[in-house]
Amino acid sequence: MAERPIIEIKNLSKRYKGSDEPALKDITLDIYPLEIFGLLGPNGAGKTTTISILCGLFAPTGGEIMIDGFNLHNELDQIKQVIGVVPQDVALYPTLTALENLVFFGNMYGLKGKYLKDLIMDRMNVFGLERFAKKKISSFSGGMKRRVNLIAGLLHDPKILFLDEPTAGIDVQSKVVILEFLQEINQKGTTIIYTSHYMEEAENLCSRVSIMDRGTIVSTGNPKELVADHPEFKNLENLYLYLTGKGLRD
Amino acid sequence: MFKFISAVKKEYLLLLRDKAGIIILFIMPMILIIIFSLLQEVTWNAIAQEPKVEMLFVNNDGDSLGINMEKGLRSSGFFDVIDSVNHAKVTAESARAAVKKGDFLIAIVVPKGVTKSMRANVRVAVAKTLSGFGMFNPNLLNNIVPKGADTVTLYFDPTIRKAFKNAVVSSIKEFNYRSETGMIFRSFNIEMSKQFPAYKPADIEYKESLQFKEVFPNYVEREEIPTTVQHNVPAWAIFAMFFIIIPLTGSMIKEREEGSLARLMSMPVSYIHLLLAKVTVYFFVCLVQSFLMIFSGIFILPLFHIPMLVIGNHIIALTLMTIATALAALGYGLLVGTIANTHQQAAAFGAVSIIILAAIGGVWVPVYLMPNVMRHVAMISPLNWGMTGFYNIFLRQGGLITIMIPALKLVAFFLGSVLITYIYRKIKSPLNI
Repeated sequence: MAERPIIEIKNLSKRYKGSDEPALKDITLDIYPLEIFGLLGPNGAGKTTTISILCGLFAPTGGEIMIDGFNLHNELDQIKQVIGVVPQDVALYPTLTALENLVFFGNMYGLKGKYLKDLIMDRMNVFGLERFAKKKISSFSGGMKRRVNLIAGLLHDPKILFLDEPTAGIDVQSKVVILEFLQEINQKGTTIIYTSHYMEEAENLCSRVSIMDRGTIVSTGNPKELVADHPEFKNLENLYLYLTGKGLRD
Repeated sequence: MFKFISAVKKEYLLLLRDKAGIIILFIMPMILIIIFSLLQEVTWNAIAQEPKVEMLFVNNDGDSLGINMEKGLRSSGFFDVIDSVNHAKVTAESARAAVKKGDFLIAIVVPKGVTKSMRANVRVAVAKTLSGFGMFNPNLLNNIVPKGADTVTLYFDPTIRKAFKNAVVSSIKEFNYRSETGMIFRSFNIEMSKQFPAYKPADIEYKESLQFKEVFPNYVEREEIPTTVQHNVPAWAIFAMFFIIIPLTGSMIKEREEGSLARLMSMPVSYIHLLLAKVTVYFFVCLVQSFLMIFSGIFILPLFHIPMLVIGNHIIALTLMTIATALAALGYGLLVGTIANTHQQAAAFGAVSIIILAAIGGVWVPVYLMPNVMRHVAMISPLNWGMTGFYNIFLRQGGLITIMIPALKLVAFFLGSVLITYIYRKIKSPLNI
């Protein structure tokens, strides 16, 4: 990992107003180009908060963040040009059709005209949705919504793609299509930062993971190497449970 | 610009597919105008046409004062003068009992011989005046005995308003003065004729030298009497424009709750751009609302036998006033939509605050019918500023100058709301605005 990180996080902290405990405590992390980086952790570990800060949605309480050479504090506009975000919720307009949604989000990235429409139809074709382009999102199944949600975040071929639990609550077929597509775009040059509760999925997909708990990073590394470093655990899930504990989280 | 147009198109599509929102925005205000105009028509007519008050009149005099008084009361148009009930002539006692019982609000009893007494008194006064000039023999007055003042009794129901009671008393006194003045003139003429047989009384009809003209001071000096329509159309149009807060905040919060806003804020587009797109679409909604309200006033309300809306000749002033009101309504909507955390919060606070501002602003009850304290309170409501501007156009036939102050207040309210929205957003999300 000699090259310069595409994302540099130094001493990142976040405390929500009215909260006793900080959501993030002094996190330092480097993510390198072309990685598929997994942020793993139980509920409340700080995964979504980290991604939200990296996307500019929340201001950090402290720390420094550089994304693709731009400082988050004063170069957010430039950062927005190179990132794509696929939020945890299906962030689409239910009363608009899939095509209307994607045209609108594409327009927000500066894409337009026939190029955009062809691109959308191409992506919908990849995700088996071309027949549903003119159907309202409200009529879609959960898996179909997730797929459109994903397309909306990567229409502009972002350099860095943030995904917050992209496979949560969907059928196996949709999951496979999504994960295969993520690997494909990663090979074409997109760095992916991804959160998940699914350890097996992360173990297979990610080049590196950070396991987070209670606002801190408890371990970072290649999933297979992490398991190898702890021979007492047969897989990432066992190691994860060891590091984060079996207690239920809010 | 391209992103802005795309955002406007998205807002337009979202609104178009929100059936409930369209009903709230367009259909409900029209229904409100029709219902309230119909409901208020009866009350309004009662106020505008001043229904006659039934008054018992007992004329025991039977001479000129009693007759003139009765004639004057009848011709005033305010009273329904009744001298018999159930085919029985009203007496002083029955009149008093009827008022006491609450069957009538007013009764007047003119005593017997009151004209005769007045005439005697006038004759004495005239004779005394003429004798000062040596034109009258005072001995002739020996058989005329001056009388004390007679009493015309007025019975009032205790619930009657003091102002109305004073008006009645003033009217009676006025009839009395007129009769007495006439008598003095006639008496002078008679005595002069006696002294100078050649004297021919001039045919002088005494006319009051002071006349009163009632004018409604509008900007074209033409009398315009407000109707339910002249009040209800602007009132409910303003209310509807401000009620846009419900679909507007709904759209803002839905976007936030469903995560679309978060997605948008991670894209190269600013929050203010997105808000401006919303404002643009809802601004046109406000204009269409106003057009529909005015259309209802001109073409639909007359179908229900309600007077047609008269919009005057100042279309530019009307348009500017509509724009200013729409901006104020949208500014308020943006502010509430940004500050409220949930749809329920925004809907409840938005609806209740608009209803309160409408109530104190004179949407339901016109400000001029409110108690004095409330008239002052009304001035804090933006809906009242809107009402003032529309009244100036519809009722007072005012032009651009007359709407300047209310319109500027509304625009300032819009700018203030947008500024607070911006500051609030900046505090909440310092990196991403």
